[in-house]
Amino acid sequence: MRALVVDDEPPARREMRRLLAQFPWLEIVGEAGGASEAQAQIENLCPDLLFLDIQMPGGSGFDLLARLEHVPRVIFTTAHDEHAVRAFDVNALDYLLKPIDPRRLEAALAKIKSADSPAPTEARPALEQLFVRDGTRCWFVPLREVQLLTSEGNYVRLHWGRIRPLLARSLAAVEQRLDPTLFFRANRSQIVNLRFIESIDAGLNGRLHAQLRDGPEVEISRRQARFFKELTSI
Amino acid sequence: MNRLPADSSIISGSSSRKASSSRRPYWACQLIGWGAHTAAQLVAVISFLHLPWLRAALEIFLLNGIGLLLSDRLHSYIRHRNWSPSPLRPLVGRIIVTSFVLATPLGLLTPFTSVRLLQDPATLPDSVPTFLLRLDPGLTVALNWINWAAVFALWLIIYFVILSMRRRRFAELRQSELARALQQAELRLLKSQLNPHFLFNSLNTVRSLIADDPQRAQNAVTRLANTLRYTLGAGQDEKVSLARELEIVADYLEIESIRFETRLSIRYQVSAEAAGVQIPVMLLQTVVENAIKHGIAELPQGGVLEIRGIVQDGMLQLSVMNSRPPVILPKAEPGTGLRNAAERLRLLFGPTARIELDLSGAEVAVTRISIPAQQ
Repeated sequence: MRALVVDDEPPARREMRRLLAQFPWLEIVGEAGGASEAQAQIENLCPDLLFLDIQMPGGSGFDLLARLEHVPRVIFTTAHDEHAVRAFDVNALDYLLKPIDPRRLEAALAKIKSADSPAPTEARPALEQLFVRDGTRCWFVPLREVQLLTSEGNYVRLHWGRIRPLLARSLAAVEQRLDPTLFFRANRSQIVNLRFIESIDAGLNGRLHAQLRDGPEVEISRRQARFFKELTSI
Repeated sequence: MNRLPADSSIISGSSSRKASSSRRPYWACQLIGWGAHTAAQLVAVISFLHLPWLRAALEIFLLNGIGLLLSDRLHSYIRHRNWSPSPLRPLVGRIIVTSFVLATPLGLLTPFTSVRLLQDPATLPDSVPTFLLRLDPGLTVALNWINWAAVFALWLIIYFVILSMRRRRFAELRQSELARALQQAELRLLKSQLNPHFLFNSLNTVRSLIADDPQRAQNAVTRLANTLRYTLGAGQDEKVSLARELEIVADYLEIESIRFETRLSIRYQVSAEAAGVQIPVMLLQTVVENAIKHGIAELPQGGVLEIRGIVQDGMLQLSVMNSRPPVILPKAEPGTGLRNAAERLRLLFGPTARIELDLSGAEVAVTRISIPAQQ
């Protein structure tokens, strides 16, 4: 597993490297001292795991995550901002308090290792999770759990259970990064998660309507209906 | 009457806040009290004196209604004039006078009520105790007057007992609220003085240095200890020489330069005369901490921090200049620390002492402090 250390204080980065030397299965591919540097490193090196400080010059750790296309797993490291991390509505997220207790680090890494799935083989892996910030709230959104993506102007509305955060990207940009076997472009403004389709009805005008589990009904445009039939072999 | 204005404002403040909720128990007490008095009179007049019951009952209801109305007016009057349950002596006088004043109209109504029948043997019902017959009409009025006065006196006594109990409870509540608020404020102050973000980051730095450079680690621990001791010992109204404060600032900046390495460069320009001037303890330290937090820490390439101190026209002119990001991020409001510092300066040194933050430079922030130069 490849990890990147992001912290603006050089001694803190050295300390992190030293602590991580105990875990030979973890390869430290680089380090960064600020949000912009980190963004470049992440795009170049595609690490699987980030050790991320929260207070940094040129944008916080949260700012960095919100800017990323591909969000790796994250372990926040912080001296005193644990309340900021805890304020998340987060699923599966860990944070370590500096100075870092080696036992806590070991526990956090054990959790990551046990949840580790085989690395994607494609050159550009399909998105697994998104970091979404809407107002003061943040989420790591696992894309498999998103029912529906709806275009709203230049933004994309994610339908993730009862949470509907807005993502500052275009639908086309998000579509490129989605797993095509899981997500289907139903019409000009909507992408559905195939796993959430409960039933398909043919409407009076011959159009297909997909009813989503615990969600709205989505009309499949005539142009897309053909692909849909191929894909789902109806 | 010399009442403490602060005290009365507390009481009236809390009673006006609770006005709507305390109306219900007030009317409950009123109706129960006057209801009991009405019932007692009805029993006395109808079953004891055997007066014509319908007329007597109507009169009793009317008289007690008037009593209820008068006592309610009295309640408004007491609130308006803010009568206090203590001291006791003037209150007793007031209760006696008020009771007789309020009893007067009711007493004067006596000759027009069915009690008058007792004076006329012709209309007198049977089985009335004979001792009542001998009473002079004037004496009857007087007795009734005294009777009503006693009723109002009892009303006032109950009223003031309840009032003083309520006041005591409010005072206790207020006291414990104050104590709690004070504790919380002290805790917040201590926390902010300790600057936990700095403390834990420094400990992390020290942990790293122990492996990299044990000698520097030892040095860092000493300086961290100095900073903490100074911070914990500093009182809000204490003054120290600028030289002493600068020692601590230097200790603090030494640790910060280990943390930020090449990102932080520091310059001092303080004249010997300026170094002897008394300043509020922790003032410069707080300003420097802010300069690091909002300035250097936000700059990926780091920046310069410069501290200057000179004495000019009997005033110490102290300035802290630091590089800052071109855009101030709308984080926490930066004004409160500055306002607190300004308030402290004003209290310790009077209106000539000033502190101001100058953000007119594009990439530099300057905090200027002027303090009368007392050696």
